[in-house]
Amino acid sequence: MTEPVLKVENLSVDYDVGAGVFHAASNVSFTLPPGRVVGIVGETGCGKSTLGQAIPRLLPEPPAVIRSGKIIFQGTDLVPVPKNKLPMVRGTSIGMIFQEPLNSLNPAFRVYDQIAESIQIRHWREIGDLPMFQPGPTPFDYSHRELPKAEQVLTKPFLPGEKVQEAARHRLVSRDDYKREVLDYLRLVRINDPETILHLYPHELSGGMRQRIMIAMTLSQKPTLLIADEPTSALDVTIQAQVLTLMKELIEEVHASILFISHDLGVVAEMADDLGVMYAGALVEIGPIAEVFKSPRHPYTKALLRAIPSQYKTDGPLASIPGNVPNLSRLPSGCSFHPRCPLAQAICRADPPPALPDTPHAAACHFSDQVASLP
Amino acid sequence: MTPTPPSPGTPIPSSGSPPIPTAPPAPRVPPAPSVGRARRTRSGVVGLYRVLRANPLSFIGFIVVTFIAILALFVVFAPHLVAHYGAQQETGVYNSGPTLFQWPPSLAHPFGTDGASYDIFSEVMLALPTDLGIGFAIAGFALIVGGGLGLVAGFWDKPGSLSGYTSSFIMRVTDVFLAFPSLVLALALVASIGKGTIQAMIAIMLTWWPYYVRLVRGEVLAVKHLPYVTAARAAGVRETKILTRHVLRNVLEPVIVYFTLDIGTVLVIFSTISFVGVGVPYPSNAPEWGSMMSFYQENYPFQIYWWAITFPALAIFVTVLSFSLLGDGLRDVLDPRSRRALAESGAHEPPPEANVGEPPVLPVPAMTAAPSNVGVDVGGVP
Repeated sequence: MTEPVLKVENLSVDYDVGAGVFHAASNVSFTLPPGRVVGIVGETGCGKSTLGQAIPRLLPEPPAVIRSGKIIFQGTDLVPVPKNKLPMVRGTSIGMIFQEPLNSLNPAFRVYDQIAESIQIRHWREIGDLPMFQPGPTPFDYSHRELPKAEQVLTKPFLPGEKVQEAARHRLVSRDDYKREVLDYLRLVRINDPETILHLYPHELSGGMRQRIMIAMTLSQKPTLLIADEPTSALDVTIQAQVLTLMKELIEEVHASILFISHDLGVVAEMADDLGVMYAGALVEIGPIAEVFKSPRHPYTKALLRAIPSQYKTDGPLASIPGNVPNLSRLPSGCSFHPRCPLAQAICRADPPPALPDTPHAAACHFSDQVASLP
Repeated sequence: MTPTPPSPGTPIPSSGSPPIPTAPPAPRVPPAPSVGRARRTRSGVVGLYRVLRANPLSFIGFIVVTFIAILALFVVFAPHLVAHYGAQQETGVYNSGPTLFQWPPSLAHPFGTDGASYDIFSEVMLALPTDLGIGFAIAGFALIVGGGLGLVAGFWDKPGSLSGYTSSFIMRVTDVFLAFPSLVLALALVASIGKGTIQAMIAIMLTWWPYYVRLVRGEVLAVKHLPYVTAARAAGVRETKILTRHVLRNVLEPVIVYFTLDIGTVLVIFSTISFVGVGVPYPSNAPEWGSMMSFYQENYPFQIYWWAITFPALAIFVTVLSFSLLGDGLRDVLDPRSRRALAESGAHEPPPEANVGEPPVLPVPAMTAAPSNVGVDVGGVP
């Protein structure tokens, strides 16, 4: 069928710091088909954000080291790409929404300047003034066109074909052109009175508005793949609901491929088509979200789902998973979840679990079939 | 599975959620005068004035610096309006010790005259552009060279790579320079390359840039790991542009403040070097306050001829002080946060009306489930 937008194969990322080597991601593999939303959940410190930032190679290297694996974005492995070519991939190809909306906007620039910069990068790439990774006037549309092979593009500067240049022939030259575009995107993210917001500095906006500006900045580049790294974690519940509603509508409108990273199962359930569960740097389970919720195949997922407080519970302690997340520099032998697992056997202590099988719903557990059949 | 995506460039919002049929059309309010435009102009000259006025001391500094700058322009382009050089000169003999021709300050000679019947007011005025020029030249050189090196050393410091070695090299050289007291080093340099104005300037320039390297590098290190720099990187901005646009703009504020304060310091250092007698020779066509003080201190006992040394010293004092006061206030001007707050605070204007034009398309459907008395704000709509 269609080529996946993103295919991560056996990705291992370590942080090599003085205190030791932290295996923030080990052997992570998953596929993101076009137009789908893959959610990644896990506890704090399980490597979710590392995974999200490793895909556009945003991690500071060093201390982060990509030990092994491939990040295949539209058929091209991003791991061996030299550092000076990486800006081509970022922005118009892989967009990112960060988890700290309060600090993710430059305090010295007005809203207009921030969004206009993003638009300018996208526009220059479209008309061929800047090299770009993936040519195409409609990057969201996967169904009409074949995705181009971009390997040559990455090794030498690429000028988009006539078709692209024609589509972008209306050059944005004046400030008014840019202003019109910026206003479009501010309206897209439902900013009230965008004409006024345009001239404000980030510190004059509320957290929810800043996050929406952030989303507008990212969307204005029309990314092929959008990575949302806990976009709502720093917001209060009301604003969170606004932003999620907005993102949900945008997903339907623009039909984007999204990697949605969150620690909130409820949020992910709302947004995602597929769900991946991470524990101690490893992807322990992945599958269509309904199946994962209905019949989890990994004990960790099962325990996580059980820990969601039910609405009408009034007595007794809330369910929890005993123990702590292991230190990422000294992972337990065998399955890293075995010290906390109620089903742990001798084999769990001795042997690492099998790799994720190549099925739609897969779990890395010795007893995944038994777990699925448990009540 | 062929959802039709919106074509690029067209405003997408209207296609997403259809307008809610039950909602009454929002009353048409005539659009208020554009708030944004008014805000934008306010951060110009008027805004600068308002911000400075909020801090009276720095406002004084600003006025004095402006006055000094205008005075210096007058001295350069119309010297006879400000000073009468040589008008009282009769003998042209210097270093001749006290004579009968010295007069205390009077109306005709506000700062008095010296032994050669020179008008000290004229001398102080004539020294003004020299001193300002020297201060700006030395501090500016240090700012550009030291600041540039600091930017590079702070931004590209990946250990183990070529950039890391470059960064370490710059910082070690800086450390070596910082280990010497800069005044002593400058004196030693002058001693080795010879007396004179240019020589003294070169000596101070060579010892002055390391402070800027240290300052700028520290600021860059603090700024470059902030989330907005990562966000710019994620948006595909190139490294050099991240440095020159995102990092530099946020580093600029403390550096400009330091630069303004530094002009005063450089003036003092240069005057010290002249005072020791290896800087600008005095008397000369382009006098300098430090060398004037040196000359008068040697030849005219302060107990009797107090005016000869007091007024050049006062000139240094006032100039340095006013630059320091200005530097303090510049911090407020350069920071958008305090600038906007202060610029708005002085405005005696009614608060801007909300610009209610088109009824915005809102993500209402998901929120309608909330009880109506909970008053959830879904984006600022009644």
